Order: sequence, then C-alpha cells, then structure tokens
Amino acid sequence: MTLKAQTLTIWTLILVILLTLPLYAAGYYISLLVTILMYAILAVSWIIFSGYTGYISLAVAAFFGIGSYMTVILWPALPFPLIIILGGLASMFFALLIGFPCLRIRGPYFVILTLGLSELVKYIFEIYEVHVKGVTGTILLGAPSSEVFYYSLLIIAVIAAATAYFVKNSKFGIALFSIKGNEEAAEAMGVDTTRYKLLFFSVSALFMGFTGAAMALRWTYIDPGVVFNPLITFQVTIMAILGGEEDFRGPIIGAAILTLISEAFGIRYPYHYMALLGITLILLIKFLPRGLLGAIGRLHIRRKGYMVNRRFG
Amino acid sequence: MELGHISTVLVMGLTIGCIYAVIAVGLNLLYGTMRMLNIAHGDLIMLGAYTAYWLFTIYKISPLFSALIAALGGAVIGLIVYRILFSSSIRRAKSLGSLEGTSLLIFFGFLILTENVALLSWGADFRGYSYLTSVVTILGTPVALNRLSAALIAVAVCLGFYIFLQRSLFGKAVRAVIQDKDATQLSGVDTGKIYIFCFGMAFAMATLAGALISMFYAITPFIGLPYTMMAFVIIILGGLGNILGGLVAGLILGLVITTVVAYTTPGFSFIVQYLIFILVILLMPQGIFGRRAR
Repeated sequence: MTLKAQTLTIWTLILVILLTLPLYAAGYYISLLVTILMYAILAVSWIIFSGYTGYISLAVAAFFGIGSYMTVILWPALPFPLIIILGGLASMFFALLIGFPCLRIRGPYFVILTLGLSELVKYIFEIYEVHVKGVTGTILLGAPSSEVFYYSLLIIAVIAAATAYFVKNSKFGIALFSIKGNEEAAEAMGVDTTRYKLLFFSVSALFMGFTGAAMALRWTYIDPGVVFNPLITFQVTIMAILGGEEDFRGPIIGAAILTLISEAFGIRYPYHYMALLGITLILLIKFLPRGLLGAIGRLHIRRKGYMVNRRFG
Repeated sequence: MELGHISTVLVMGLTIGCIYAVIAVGLNLLYGTMRMLNIAHGDLIMLGAYTAYWLFTIYKISPLFSALIAALGGAVIGLIVYRILFSSSIRRAKSLGSLEGTSLLIFFGFLILTENVALLSWGADFRGYSYLTSVVTILGTPVALNRLSAALIAVAVCLGFYIFLQRSLFGKAVRAVIQDKDATQLSGVDTGKIYIFCFGMAFAMATLAGALISMFYAITPFIGLPYTMMAFVIIILGGLGNILGGLVAGLILGLVITTVVAYTTPGFSFIVQYLIFILVILLMPQGIFGRRAR
C-alpha cells in the first residue's frame, strides 16, 4: 500500500468510527466529543486564516458570539440547520465588514486590534441587552438531542478540516503561506494579498459562526459574557499552537488534548486550569514553536532523513 | 454646557490623563527598544493595585508608600521575566522584528497566567478602600486628595524619567537604542544592559501606576486589558520613545474619555475606550507628532 492510500484508509476508518459512535458509546462520551468537536472546528478554522498567513487573530470569540446570537434571535422560528447556516453567514458578513479596514494593519498591531474589536463587540451586545432589551441573557428552550449536536458538529468539522486541507494544497495555500513568509515580496510577485486575506479571514469566520450558532442551543443560557468570553479565544489559539498551526491535524490534536485536560480537572478548578494554559503557552512558544506536529516532524527528519508534512513551511 | 461642568470634566480628565501617561511610558520603553508589545502590561497594573490594596487593608501602610514597594516588586518581576524568557532569544535573534510575534504570544500567556493566579488568590470581587478622601477645590471643582496626589506623582515620574533620558549618559543610550539598535551596538553600547534596565523600568512603572489607581478606582483581576489598550493608543498618538508626546497624548485621551463618558451613562465607558483604540489604530497609525510608532 502506498503512503497516500494508507493515510486515506486511516482517515476513512476514523470517520466510520466517529459516524457510528452514538450507536454504542455512552451519552457522556458523546457530550465530551461534542465539546472536542466544537474546539476542533474553532481551532481548525483559526489556522485556515491565522495559521497559514501568520496574522494572529484574537477575534475568535466575536465570530463565535455573533453566530450564537443568530440562534438567540431565530430559534425556534427557523429549523436548526438553517439557523446554523445563517449564523455562519452573519459572522462571515461581519468578518468582511471589519476585515476590509483591519487587514491593512500588520504584526502586533493586528493582534491587539482584533482583541480590542472582540471586546468591543462584547460590550456592545452587553449594552444592547441592558439598555434596549432590558434583560440580560436568554434561555433557549427545546434543544435537540445530543446526537443531533454530535452529527451537526461532525459534519461541520469534516467540512472545516477538508477546507483547511484543500486550501493548503492549492494555489490559495501557496498565496497564504507567501503572505506569512514575506508579504511585500508576495505582493511584488503579483499575489493579490488583500483579496486572499479578506477571503480566508471570512471563511474562517464562517466556520466559527456555524459553531457558535450550534453551541448556543447546546448551552441553553446565552449572554454576552458567555459567548463573547475571551477565554474561548485564548483556548482556541493555544490549542492550534499546541497541535501545530500549519496543518489541519494539529488543531484537532490540540483541541482533543486540552479538552480532555479541561474535562479532567478544568471544571472543578477552572482558574488552575487557565493558569496552567498560560504556562503552557509560554513554554510552547519558548520550546515548541511549531507545535506537537512540528516536533514530531522534526523527529522524523532526524531519524529517516526525509521531510514529512512540510510543503511550504 | 455650564461652566462648572466644563471645569469638572477638565480636572477629572487631566488627572486620569496623567496616570495614563505614566502607564504608557512603560509600554513605550519595551516597544521602543525591543519591539515587544507587552499585552500583559495592564495586568502588572492590576498586581500593583492589589499590592497597595492589601498593604493598606492589612498593615495600614499608606498607598503612597506602597507605590514604591509595588514599583520595586514590579522591577524584580521584570528582571526575572527578562532573564528567564527573553535574554537568550534576544541574543540569538537576527533582528528584533522576528521577536515581535513570539514575544507577544509569550506575554499573552503571561496575561492569562497572571489574571488567573489573581482570581485564584483574591477572587473576582470588586475591591476598594478609602484613603485621603478629603476634598480640595480646583477651578471651582471639588477633587479628592487621593486623585490629585496620584496625578501629581504620575507627572513627577514622567518628567523625572524624561529628564533622565535627556540628561544622563545612560538615558542617552536608551534613546539611541530606540532610534537604531545596530548603530548603538556598533558604537560600543552594551544593549543587553539597556534591555534589562528597560524591562525593570517598564514593569516598575506599571505596578506603580496600579498602586496609584487603587486609591480611587475599584479593582478586580480583570482591570488590566483596557489600560493596556489605552496605553497603546497613547504610544501611537505620542510617538515611539517620545515621553513628552506620551504625556500630552495621555492628557488629551483622559480629557476625551472623560468628556464622552460625562455625556453618556458610565456603562458606555468601555465602549468609548475600545472605540477610540480601534479608530486610532485604523485612522492615525502615524500619531499626532509625526514619527511612526511601527
């Protein structure tokens, strides 16, 4: 079997296991997987823009929250799948709106700008709830069963991972990685950097919006502090960097590891967990800047003498 | 608008503007000399504020004195952080620009760590104390003495540091590094020493500002980020390495925020701050005094 056929078989096997899982796994594992899938989608969509271009966006919570608020507005008037799609489109629209002015800004300015924007959106929703609506928070009733969430998120996750894979292995990938390498040079070579940045900034927001819209019903109680929580951004960023931000498998691994740790003791000791995340990020940047996948790849290179999984890196 | 109202806004805006200015000096030093954007700058303010709070509520130590202790503590943290996390990578880096991204993420981790350790140790409650609450009248406006003394100390620190940068040989070297690191190194300046000094100084000024703020604002583990954003606006407006420009920009920003907040409900102040932050980055990346901060 060639290497390519081998990986294809492995992925098919994983997919079959995941698809049939609700038939024999206990409810707890389905819930756990829903959380892992949620973070995996967010982290994978994060790398589609930030991992590939090097523009570190800290606006994950903004796109997630906007998706969630579409559910608050539209549920139960519209069916669940339609709401998910509209939630994604709303986030995508917002990304196009802010992306146009923001994506001209580079480096650390861009990073802190996205964080500021995300906080601004949170406060605007808070003010809206306090002063216009009069009540903070909404309780959403009539949520579908765990299996429905599981399959919805699984579908979104597969599409997101496939998008991340095909984007990387297409001319888009070359364009995005060239922006990461040297944006001026890419521009000089004729890459329309503004268009690519805007396109994939909004594609990544689209998936975050899908996830937010779906998870709103899962969480049932929604207020701006919950869905625009910067902790969502922090966790997603760290998951992506932990796993490796240049390949779709990295964020999935990162999301699984951190969700399991969080499940094991993050719920009882949330602040300990977050403090640990902070230390993890510092150590990662210091010692494993290319993430777990990067480290594994390096080991392979050392042992077998060939490059694994580094097309443009 | 009646006259009394104008003078209130003026006095309140200028006093808080002075504090903004001293906060921005620290951020300016790190970004100016090492191209490091300390996103956790505001969390040092938070640590300084808690230092003053605990020293006052437990030992009845005057916050004006604890400001010194906080500054010392901040300097020590700065030295440790520099030694452990940055000194080796700075020596190895080909250009400081390559450190921009990684240092930002490291500070991001530092931010998450500090905030959650603070939450663990002290909880999320708003905390405050009363000290020097007697009132003096300036321009027909009553001002609490704690606010006034905090503003005066902040101005003194800014001006003192400005004179240090202008007059002393070491200050001159710091300014030289801000202008051109390589040329400074070639002319025989040990840039490593400058970096250590800037780290200690930047952290010390943040914790000092925090101790001052705690005298008249309630504190929580989350107060940091808005101050970081404001300080960032100030260094963009005032110019990189420009302490006096920062002072002017701080005063202007204090006035603008106070004015806008005076005409809206207090709940809007965060929105105003973040809006100003975003507009300044998008529209005025050159600042008001010409030199680019990038």
